[in-house]
Amino acid sequence: MIPHVFNLQNCLALSLLLVLIGSFGVFRRHSLIMILLSVEVMLNGVNLSLVAFNYFRWGTSETSHYLYMLSIGVAAVEAAVGLSMIIVLFKNFNDITRERISRLGERSA
Amino acid sequence: MPVSPLVEITFALSALVILLASLAVVLIKNPVRATLMLILSFLPTSLIYILLQASFVGILQILVYAGAIMMLFTFVIMMINPSPNEGDAPAGGSESAFTGLRGGLVGFLIIGLAGTMVIPMIYHAAASLPVQAVTKPHFGELSSIAALLFEDPANNPLTVSFELISFLILVGIIAALNFSRRKGGQTVDEDSISTRPTEALPIVKRQSGIEAMERK
Repeated sequence: MIPHVFNLQNCLALSLLLVLIGSFGVFRRHSLIMILLSVEVMLNGVNLSLVAFNYFRWGTSETSHYLYMLSIGVAAVEAAVGLSMIIVLFKNFNDITRERISRLGERSA
Repeated sequence: MPVSPLVEITFALSALVILLASLAVVLIKNPVRATLMLILSFLPTSLIYILLQASFVGILQILVYAGAIMMLFTFVIMMINPSPNEGDAPAGGSESAFTGLRGGLVGFLIIGLAGTMVIPMIYHAAASLPVQAVTKPHFGELSSIAALLFEDPANNPLTVSFELISFLILVGIIAALNFSRRKGGQTVDEDSISTRPTEALPIVKRQSGIEAMERK
């Protein structure tokens, strides 16, 4: 007998775990690109919870699907602007670790 | 609601693959491999969307997320070409409380505590919501979403907000172009251009406005 796992609770738990993994990466990584990648993992978890709520609790309308489209639009803009900022930082400092950025352009002592 | 065992097995396997691939994104040191692992974690996510009767959202996940956004990441990573041992602590970097694995564990614990405090409330709220099973005929298909967004466009608030996304993307394009523009219209000498990826981006020298005017 296969247990009943496809329900709202398990989808929400999966999305919480994805957000936790992404936040772990945000705190752990040094490179700004990898921090942006971890933010994408967190966004993925949030989108999953949106669509799961829509399916299990609001089956009469697809409003969360629209919210998902809005969310990936924002994610695309965030990735484009963030990556172009990273390229400018790499041009100027030749280094994209967050330890270098946190000095705000001052020379290290 | 009765669900077939195939759906249960597919959901469990996809959740497992998503979690493992996301952990690999966070833990793998090579940035290119981490990006590929993120793309790998998007594929079972779109499978779960299809199980949730959101077929168009599943297609968007692959086309837009895995196809477009992740390609942007891959291009920038290959352009910058960081060392494959990115996860290591930088040489001579100052140790703060939030560096390395210790900082990761601290953040993980803080957000994990917040999550375990929040999730019973979410379950309670979800249980108090009335269950509305999917009854719409073409739920989640493109025609249905298009009808939701563009039906009666004069009075539909979703139409306006959907069109406003295009303005957001326009703002993003302008910001990215403005970042990548060279200051003062400098030209690069042909000799300083190298074919090696790490040397292809010259360090932009700042020059004051007076110098730029004298040069003219």
